[in-house]
Amino acid sequence: MAIRGHAHDSGDHGIDLAPMLDFVLNLLIFFIITTSFVKQTGAVIDRPFAATAEHKESGNLLIGVKPDGQIWMDRKQVDLRELRPTIEKLHIERPDDTVVIIADKLAPAGQVAKVMDEARKAGIKDIVISAQLNP
Amino acid sequence: MLDFVLNLLIFFIIIAVFVKESGLTVQRPTGEPPPPNADKSIAIQILASGEVWVDGRVIDPDAVRANVERLHAVNTKAGVLIIADNLAPTGLLVEVVDQVHLANVYNVTFATAGE
Repeated sequence: MAIRGHAHDSGDHGIDLAPMLDFVLNLLIFFIITTSFVKQTGAVIDRPFAATAEHKESGNLLIGVKPDGQIWMDRKQVDLRELRPTIEKLHIERPDDTVVIIADKLAPAGQVAKVMDEARKAGIKDIVISAQLNP
Repeated sequence: MLDFVLNLLIFFIIIAVFVKESGLTVQRPTGEPPPPNADKSIAIQILASGEVWVDGRVIDPDAVRANVERLHAVNTKAGVLIIADNLAPTGLLVEVVDQVHLANVYNVTFATAGE
């Protein structure tokens, strides 16, 4: 009885939809991941601490500033003059970006200010200086 | 079915791992020179040596909160203008911004001075 019922259920109704569903879902996940992927800076940075740091959900343009003032973006060192076109290029792809400046504790504040200005010139309004929450 | 659930699981794990950036929002002055109404805001100077000046005195970075609270009570509309030397360490800057936030002032502008 049970065997007959099973055989009846798996009777052919044409194409089996389950593998296609998996495939489409995988594609969906793939595209979501590739579009909203966080661009790591590629620099090792000792971040400052702050008690009032807020979590930023949409922070996906990360700019690292090292202690000697070097600017790192997307695993590459970027000159200050190249920074604006680089940000603009990425900003066109995703217009609602937030820039997060990950500056080392010892990075000069002047360099951070210049990076903020370049980001603002590139049309980004939401600029955040990264800080870790106090442990 | 199991595949589907597993995919969902992976999807949510990835989303959760994604963005864990946290930080402080500060503004930049619109022009390069400090704005003319700078006298209305509470000015905090950070020197390259790491000294913090508020109201004409050198203070400890931990005392910024108390000083800003006091000055903010006198003029509740005042924002805070941080004038940092170009070579001042960013760690100190973040510490000062943090202290100002702790004093419940979120209108923070960050200008730089120096060569």
